[in-house]
Amino acid sequence: MKPFDIVIVGGGGAGLYAAMEAMKTNPALNIAVLSKVYPNRSHTSAAQGGANAALANKAKDDSVEMHIFDTIKGSDYLADQDAVDVLCSEAPKIIRELENIGTPWSRMEDNTIAQRPFGGAGRPRCCYCADKTGHTILQTLYEQCLKTGVLFFNEYFALNLSVHGSRSRGLIAMNMKTGKVEAFPAKTVIFATGGYAKMYWNRSSNAAGNTGDGQAIAYRAGIPMKDMEFVQFHPTGLRKSGLLVTEGARGEGGYLINKDGERFMARYAKEKMELGPRDLVSRSIETEILEGRGFDSPAGKYIHLDLRHLGADLIKSRLPQIREMSLNFEGVDPIEEPIPIRPTAHYSMGGIDTDNFGRTVMEGVYAAGECACVSVHGANRLGGNSLLDILVFGRIAGHTAAEEAGKFEPGSISEEELRESVEEIRTRMQPSGHYERYGALREELGQTLALNVGIFRESSLLHKGIQDIAELKERFKKVRVFDSSDVFNTNLQQVLELKNMLDLAETVAVGALAREESRGSHTRIDFPVRDDEKWHKHTLATLVDGKAIPGEKPVTMGRYELQERTY
Amino acid sequence: MTEIIDQHQEGKRDVTFRVFRFNPQVDSKPYFDDYTISAERGITVLRSLNYIKEHVDATLSFRAFCQAGICGSCGMRVNGISKLACTSQVWDELDKCREPGIIRVEPLRSLPMIKDLIVDMDPLVDKMTRYSNWIDSTMPLADMGKKEFLISEEEFQRYDKATDCILCASCVSECSILRANKEYVSPAVLLKSYRMNVDSRDGIHDLRLAELVKDHGVWDCTHCYRCQESCVKSIPIMEAIHAIREDALESRGPRDTSGAKHAEAFMEDIEKKGKLVEATLPIRTNGVVWTLRNLLPMAMKMIVKRRTPPPPPLVKSAKGIKVFRAMFREMTEHVKQDHLKSHKK
Repeated sequence: MKPFDIVIVGGGGAGLYAAMEAMKTNPALNIAVLSKVYPNRSHTSAAQGGANAALANKAKDDSVEMHIFDTIKGSDYLADQDAVDVLCSEAPKIIRELENIGTPWSRMEDNTIAQRPFGGAGRPRCCYCADKTGHTILQTLYEQCLKTGVLFFNEYFALNLSVHGSRSRGLIAMNMKTGKVEAFPAKTVIFATGGYAKMYWNRSSNAAGNTGDGQAIAYRAGIPMKDMEFVQFHPTGLRKSGLLVTEGARGEGGYLINKDGERFMARYAKEKMELGPRDLVSRSIETEILEGRGFDSPAGKYIHLDLRHLGADLIKSRLPQIREMSLNFEGVDPIEEPIPIRPTAHYSMGGIDTDNFGRTVMEGVYAAGECACVSVHGANRLGGNSLLDILVFGRIAGHTAAEEAGKFEPGSISEEELRESVEEIRTRMQPSGHYERYGALREELGQTLALNVGIFRESSLLHKGIQDIAELKERFKKVRVFDSSDVFNTNLQQVLELKNMLDLAETVAVGALAREESRGSHTRIDFPVRDDEKWHKHTLATLVDGKAIPGEKPVTMGRYELQERTY
Repeated sequence: MTEIIDQHQEGKRDVTFRVFRFNPQVDSKPYFDDYTISAERGITVLRSLNYIKEHVDATLSFRAFCQAGICGSCGMRVNGISKLACTSQVWDELDKCREPGIIRVEPLRSLPMIKDLIVDMDPLVDKMTRYSNWIDSTMPLADMGKKEFLISEEEFQRYDKATDCILCASCVSECSILRANKEYVSPAVLLKSYRMNVDSRDGIHDLRLAELVKDHGVWDCTHCYRCQESCVKSIPIMEAIHAIREDALESRGPRDTSGAKHAEAFMEDIEKKGKLVEATLPIRTNGVVWTLRNLLPMAMKMIVKRRTPPPPPLVKSAKGIKVFRAMFREMTEHVKQDHLKSHKK
């Protein structure tokens, strides 16, 4: 195959924006987007809330500066302040650009883009399209990429980076439709494969495919991961699936009830009750369950989100989506019964370590979006900043790669390398005496992570988690792929995704054990306070001889001094 | 209170999933496999398929991603109806089985088969490209990102519902035209085209419309409403199709396409006689030359078989034609008024 100038891995918001921007920067470039799903299926579509930008359409006194401060404070001061500057100053431009190319934003009375209040933001600056913001942004970007003639390789599963010395020569991927392993020699590669929170499996709100493929490939190629221990939990996930019940349910007056029939939030946040900040509510629910006041079921322990007192009319008119989800995924009608819920892993703040231009430490390799860690979210992401992150940094990474592609020689990938990738797959298909089922391992991984590397962390729990992950990795060697066909082998794909999750899970647990403090989403029972002296820094995890080696990196400060984070 | 209460844990029901199987590498033709599992209340068809894949048969192949009804990956036919597996409740489906206790699961129709429940979506993407399913912005390049278009709530309402489409292709699978003609534009692409055409930010309305009125385009729809009935997001797809047609008649005139002329001829006959004058319908729709070239052999056969429709002078007006005409005129007047009103808006 003719060498590419840019190969983008992932077709969600970050990948598509990167493609669009790269085409714009230099239309002569040979650009390809590889995605394991059709791009319009990407998980960007699931983001309901919106994207923050200080357009000042709603609050006339809003400013980029206020957005910057809110983001830094929200991050518990772990975000790099120069990166946050970029995120927030680019925001108005990028939201308008999306508007210009067709995103159907909801509108204010004066016909400008509508904005609404969001958690942790001092002004109403979250731009939205009803409750389908991510979906409409993804559609717009996909439409524009089709318009520009971006070359798509849909349903290609990325396997390995081809590395030569200190730089990459391209990517090796499997065509799902044929099962063929193909080489994508490229001057530059951009990873935009989304987050890794699905490693918590049934205790995650993420799509089945958010398995951190890009991060795992980069990690195995020796590129460091940053701040992997920071995983955001959302308080109200459905018991069986982990799918999200949006904050609206509590906003309208829903109660959280334990098995003794108590509104237990009175113990944790007397005034705000159910409307306390996300991390506090998550910790409160988890405490109730840990102390034995939750309900029990084969699908796990849970507590109740009770909406019955709101009445059928209000539930039908204001919370139709929540009712539909509850009916579809739990078989429970919230008009008649409480919804079984439990906190769910929702977002990964950590990812591939990049600079403000999307560059990684490896020449020619870039990353953007939830897949990357710039870092703009630090220890805790604010609502409305994740869509913004993928747009702003997807665009920047696309631009940087387009500008820099010329610097690199076109790489070539040898037959030998391809054969190695094929060989690895073959061995999994060969029947052996004793074998393991990937489904069981996947569930066990989710369980041990939720239990030992979950909302509450503590030294002995984390040691247990690390040990469990090591054992699972050992057992993974015996996992067998039962489907022997070449055509669309989803059995094989899911096994390879599990491998990615296992590799990354180790970095999450190791990072969590190293960080002896509580900051943002990371809560250590044995180190309950933020320790700026020792831990105001990023953690790194680099793969050396099959082990995650911890490292660190300073936080870039700017105009804002460290302060206590109170709301 | 120490005992464990779980009011959601009710009985389980045995369910057989009769699943369409086809692996092009080994199967010469498709077949069905039965999988019987025990399903509790609240379990979706997708979760059942996941369970079967993990515990019973790892070779069973289907697509699934978000599992929450927003990505559109798991479109398939459940008990004969195209829908999302992830939002379909097993217990609800049990009430719809043709054979008690057996839920049939098949791939979407009208798209090329790949394996088991997986079909090729490329034809749909190709059509999105052919019909320019994107906004070609009228914002000058130099102003991009610098200012907003001002869009009224009214305009937003025109495409709000249409932008709910997740391209799950349920409508594609249910469409009766596509089953006969794979070239047909398809309901999803018509919906998207409509959405682009009513967006004031777009600059290629005429170009898109010109493509839509060509062969295999908007005039091929037969109003069976299957697309709308099966839409998983309850989008009024037929309204969009009607709107494109009205737009075409209005902005391009009725005489420039066979579809439009066909519709005009229908109106003319109905008003005059209360029924169709079939003998001249092809001439009025496609012209004399086309009719002679394409329908002469069939006409000859019809004459031989004595199946020719009566010539126009012999088509008598339907009974009660006067009352009917009055009603007809009143209706067309109403439609005209409605149009005027909606344009004034």
